Amino acid sequence: MKLALQNILHDRGRFSVTVLGVSFAVFLMVFQGSLLAGFLQAASRLIDASDTDIWITARGVQAFEFGTALESRVREMAAGVPGVLQTSRVCMAFAVYRTPVGKQQVVALVGADPSVGRRFPVPNRPESADQVSPDAVLYDVSDRKQIEVDALPAEVEINRHRASIEREIHGYGAFLGVPFLFTSYRNAVRYMDFGPDQAMYVLLRLDKGYPLSQVQQSLKQRLPEVDVLTQDEFAHKSKIYWTIKTGAGGAILTAALLGFLIGLVVVSQTIYANTMENIEEYATLKALGASQALVARIVLAQALICGVVGSVLGLLVVIPSINYAKSLISWIYAPWWLPGAMVLPSLAMCALASIVSVRSALTVEPGRVFRA
Amino acid sequence: MPDHFLGVEGASVSFGLEQARVCALRDVSLTFEQGTLSLVMGPSGSGKTTLLSMLGCLLSPDEGTVFVDGVAVNRLSEAERTVVRQKKISFVFQAFRLFHSLSALDNVALGFEIRNAVPSRREEAARDLLLQFGLGGKLHQEPNELSPGEKQRVAIARALAGNPPILLADEPTASLDAEAGRNICQILRSQVDKHRRTVVVVSHDPRWEKFADRTITLCDGRVQRVEEEVGVV
Repeated sequence: MKLALQNILHDRGRFSVTVLGVSFAVFLMVFQGSLLAGFLQAASRLIDASDTDIWITARGVQAFEFGTALESRVREMAAGVPGVLQTSRVCMAFAVYRTPVGKQQVVALVGADPSVGRRFPVPNRPESADQVSPDAVLYDVSDRKQIEVDALPAEVEINRHRASIEREIHGYGAFLGVPFLFTSYRNAVRYMDFGPDQAMYVLLRLDKGYPLSQVQQSLKQRLPEVDVLTQDEFAHKSKIYWTIKTGAGGAILTAALLGFLIGLVVVSQTIYANTMENIEEYATLKALGASQALVARIVLAQALICGVVGSVLGLLVVIPSINYAKSLISWIYAPWWLPGAMVLPSLAMCALASIVSVRSALTVEPGRVFRA
Repeated sequence: MPDHFLGVEGASVSFGLEQARVCALRDVSLTFEQGTLSLVMGPSGSGKTTLLSMLGCLLSPDEGTVFVDGVAVNRLSEAERTVVRQKKISFVFQAFRLFHSLSALDNVALGFEIRNAVPSRREEAARDLLLQFGLGGKLHQEPNELSPGEKQRVAIARALAGNPPILLADEPTASLDAEAGRNICQILRSQVDKHRRTVVVVSHDPRWEKFADRTITLCDGRVQRVEEEVGVV
C-alpha cells in the first residue's frame, strides 16, 4: 500500500485538488444534512415539546402552523372517553405585532395551557418558579432583533391588544421566517379573538392503564369529524408536509446530492488521471506477478486515502461553520452522529470514483512492458 | 510433455489481421536448462521480444506449446499464468521500469510483496539484496536520484525478490555505459553460477556472448543458429 500512498503524494498538486473535492463534498453533505436535520426537528418541535399522548386537530391539518379552530364540544367529548386523563388546549395564529418603537410585523402567536408539558414554552407553569406574570409573552433569543425590545419587561401590542414581553427562551426560534411568541392559552385567545372555549388543538394525556391505540380508536369513533393522531403521528405528518410537500426538503437534499456528485466527479477524474499516468507501472506490477486483487487494492487505496484526508479536512471546516451558522439559522442542527455518518458516503463516493480507474489498471496488458 | 525446465515447442505467433498480419515467430522450438544463461540475439523484428514474452507467460502462441517447469503454461488461464509468474519468473527491462514514487528499498520490498513474502520480513530482505548489489548507500533514494547502472541493479534486486528460478532480461545493458553494462553482465552470470537460476537475455550487445552458455540467433521469426559457448567468463 506504500505504492498507493507514494503515488498520490508524488503529485501533490493533483492530490490537493482531489482532497479539496472530497472536502467540498463532505462540507456540503454535512452542512445540508444539518439543515435537513434541523428542518425536520423544527418542523415538529412544538409537537415534540408537548408531554401528551394524543393530538386532536381539525380535519386535514397538515402541520402545526396551519391549524384551524375546533368546535368547543370536541374537548368535552374527548374528556369523556375512557382512558383520557387530562385535556389541554393549544392554539396558534399569525398576529400583527407592534414593537415598543411602533414598528409593525407579523408574528406566529402560540398559546397553550400550562398542562401541555414541561418543555412546551408556556409562562407560569404551576410547578415552576417563573418570575413572570401568568399572561406574559415569551420569545426566543434568536428572534431578539425582530422583536426589537431593549429591556424586559417590555410593553408591546399584539393584534392591537396590550401585551407584556417578559422573558427570553431558547430553542424555539423562527422557523417560518416569522418569530414565534408564546403566551398562556387564556391570553392567546384574547389576542386572537377566539371564543374562550375554542381551541385549535386539543391535547390528551392518557391513563397509563389504557392502550394508546385503543383510546385513539374510541376517540375516532366518537369524533369522526376531526383527526385523532398520536403525538408521533402528528409530528411525522408535520415533518412530511414541510420537507416533502413544500419541496424544501427536496431542495436541501438536492444540494447534498450535488455535493456528492461534485466530489464523485472530482475524485473520479483525478484518480483516473493518476492511474493513467502510472498505467505503465500497473503493467509492470502485473508482469511481475501481482494479482488482480493487489492491483485493485492499490488503486482503491489511493481513492480511499484521498477520501479519508478530504473527509477530515471537510469536517474540520464544516463543524465550526455549522456553529457559526447557528447565529444566522437558529434551527440548524447537526446530530452528533451526522459528521461521522457522512464520512461513510464520502468513502463510498471515493470507492465509486475509483471503479473506472480500477478497471483500467486491471485490463492493462502486462505484455506491454517490453515495448519501449 | 517435455521435461525441460523452460522452453517452447513448435511455437508460432503472429500479430495483426488479414493483410496486415505479421508473423513474429514461426515454428520455434527451444529449451532452456536450469542453471544456464542463454543469450538471444537477432536483428530488430526477428522475434526476440516475442519469444521472451512467451517464456514469461505474457503472451500465448497461436500454435505450439510454452512450458515452464514442465507445465504447458499456454493452456492455463490468465490468473494461473499470473501465479506462475509470481512464483517462478521475473523480469529485467531495458528501461528499468522502477516505481518512480518509491525509494530503492521500497521498490525491492514491493517485489517481495508481489511474491507474498511475510510482511515483517520484506524490508529486511530488500535491504539485504540491495546491500549485495552495492547499493547500501542508496536505499532511500528514489529512481530519479540514481544513475542508470544503479537503477538496473535495483531492478535486478527487485526481480530477485522472492527467489524466482527464472530471470528474463530484455536488453538489460542497452541503456548503460560500458562499465555499468559489464557489472550487470557479471551480476546476472553470478545468479546462474551461485543460484542455478535460468537466465534468458535478449540483447544486441555482443558483450553478453562471453557471459552466456549459448547464443541463439533469431532471424525472421525462426531460429537461425544456436551456438554453445565454451569459454564462459
